Amino acid sequence: MDFAFTDDEETFRTELRAFLDSEVPDWWRGMFVDDERAMPFTRELCSKLAGRGWLTMAWPPEHGGSGASVWKQAIVREEMWAREEPRGPQYMNLNYIGPLIMRFGSPDQQARFLPSMARGEVIWCQGFSEPDAGSDLASLITRAEDRGDHFVVNGQKIWTSYADAPADWCLLLVRTDPAAPKHRGISILLVDMTTPGITVRPIDTMAGPHEFNEVFLDDVIVPRDCLLGEQDHGWDLVVAGLTFERVGIARYARAGRVIELLVEYVNDAGLGDDPIVRDRLADLYARYEAAKVLNYRAISMQAAGEVPTIEASVARIHNTQLEQAVGHVGLELLGPAGQLRAGDRWAPLRGEIHRYWTRNIPSTLAGGSLEIQKNIVAQRGLGLPREP
Amino acid sequence: MNLELSDEQRLLAETARAFVDRHGDDDAWPTMCDAGWPALLIPEEHGGAGAGLLDLALVCEALGRGPIGSPLIATGVLAALSIALAGTHEQQDRWLPALATGTTIGTLAVLEPGMRDEWDEPRMSGADRLSGTKILVPWATRADVIVVVTVDGLRLVEMASANVQIDEHAGLDGDPLAAVTFDSTVAESLGTGDGAVTVAVVLDYAAVASMAYAIGAAERALELTVQHAKDREQFGRAIGSFQAVAHRCAEMRAEIDACRYLAYRAAWALEHATAPSEAVTTAKSYANEALRRVFLHAHQVHGAMGFTTEHPLHRFTQCAKAFELSYGGTARHRDRLATAMGLGRRA
Repeated sequence: MDFAFTDDEETFRTELRAFLDSEVPDWWRGMFVDDERAMPFTRELCSKLAGRGWLTMAWPPEHGGSGASVWKQAIVREEMWAREEPRGPQYMNLNYIGPLIMRFGSPDQQARFLPSMARGEVIWCQGFSEPDAGSDLASLITRAEDRGDHFVVNGQKIWTSYADAPADWCLLLVRTDPAAPKHRGISILLVDMTTPGITVRPIDTMAGPHEFNEVFLDDVIVPRDCLLGEQDHGWDLVVAGLTFERVGIARYARAGRVIELLVEYVNDAGLGDDPIVRDRLADLYARYEAAKVLNYRAISMQAAGEVPTIEASVARIHNTQLEQAVGHVGLELLGPAGQLRAGDRWAPLRGEIHRYWTRNIPSTLAGGSLEIQKNIVAQRGLGLPREP
Repeated sequence: MNLELSDEQRLLAETARAFVDRHGDDDAWPTMCDAGWPALLIPEEHGGAGAGLLDLALVCEALGRGPIGSPLIATGVLAALSIALAGTHEQQDRWLPALATGTTIGTLAVLEPGMRDEWDEPRMSGADRLSGTKILVPWATRADVIVVVTVDGLRLVEMASANVQIDEHAGLDGDPLAAVTFDSTVAESLGTGDGAVTVAVVLDYAAVASMAYAIGAAERALELTVQHAKDREQFGRAIGSFQAVAHRCAEMRAEIDACRYLAYRAAWALEHATAPSEAVTTAKSYANEALRRVFLHAHQVHGAMGFTTEHPLHRFTQCAKAFELSYGGTARHRDRLATAMGLGRRA
């Protein structure tokens, strides 16, 4: 075992940090803010990253990558997530939409979709959840009728992040065979978001605007060459994609950065010797380290050519609860002024902790809820029976 | 970075596990000595294996699955490492080869009445004679040599010739613990200096080894819990099919995994990192609390049967609690960790 990054990896991290320190502006607070500068900034940054070979560095060379190790990829994820993901929506392209197309797409689809991702020029969103298909995702009913050379899609998606960015393309989950058992009869379509019949309605959340959208699809025509993988067998792709996603985000990295901010804050406030404050922050830090080392275990499996499944869920169980704990304890340490939002002149740490707490209220829901992760661990990891 | 065990480590872990499955409650110490486990941390020039703490941790983890009690940590870590780090060449030559074969059993006496924990200042003093009582000394009942922590430095007491009274404690079902009372007992200095640095390192190593033991116990408790959840039927179905039960098992899995990788990292850090104590104290801060949760779940799923002494669960529960209360409680380690994080640092 070796728990250290190599010198080469550390050098890369230093270069990447220097780059991001100079490129990420002071006003950047992630995508879910009411700031018109956000989207153009992420596009510009992604094309700069692409220019340096840092955007799709872990992709294989034939798809515009440089075949970098999964550990360098992990470093990118950590540095990005610690800075509130300045790649904006495009992290999804790199982590799993691109890899899904590499693994299941036709040569034509690969040639058509991957180069624009590698150049950092395209925004994708993911149309998965529906009003009546959340944790029970396979019960989705958005219908795609097979009309030979095209499909006609009707239905509704919800909680679709970045659809209003606006997204250029959508990885859309549809039902192509309503008669089949629910895990069969599902397909994945790659949908041009400018197609007539698509309506995007933003949903305001506690965290502010632009986090979620509803996407309505009315007689949307999708050419057959935009079917990803085999028709009616899309669920296998979903399972593969969700596994990529669970290890694809270095959620612990932002938690670690917020803990650092809190340490500075309590020291400045003269509370660094207070035993209760110390106990609270050390507890958070230990939980952060636990989440981190479990992510590293999953990445180490990838490096060895294995696919982490249970291990990815275990890491996610830790990541998401860590985020929530850091938000709660962080606000507690700020005291009554923790109520103040970003923009209020008296908000401690410019409202950063307040925002972090708010935006992590749903973190145990996204990408498969905490309960679904525990079901995966219980059933697939421990062999416990399914609930009848 | 690479979090996979080496082929040799996998083999060692499998061997240790097979040994545990074979042995049950017999006196396993002679077999463990034949396997060379007390020698793992002892340098090769003193008859040891010169292996790493991770290797020892893998053995301890397997033993925890028994649980098989043995003076392995007392001899191979507490005594051997103290002597290897602080002893003179003569003392090393005299004791380390014998500790490596396990023919000599050793331990370390740290705690005294009134001390908060192992990191608190000792009270006992004395140069070539010791008086007073050390408490909670692991395996003192069988020890041939005891390293004693005093304010004046480390002292070595050879039990065969010494005037020492040993009173076994009534404690948890883990390592046997005893009060050791010295009365103008002959002792020799172990090396020179106050020994504080040595003790700190030895405590870190012992914390990791005992953590691995507790993790093995927790893993076995999870296996028992899952088996029970599959076998036990209520309301006409296996209770493990209820999410309320299944999720407790999943949480046990998630917590044990976290403890295990934090422990492995701490073992690695003690031999490779520049600030190893931070990794140890992080792991201990986490595992102390996490193993409480693990055993709360284990007992809840087992129902009343898990509280009986007819069922083996209670033994693992006691191992985990003994670990939590040794080598620093949660508050101690969180405080140490807070300092490592920079809390209280003045600009």
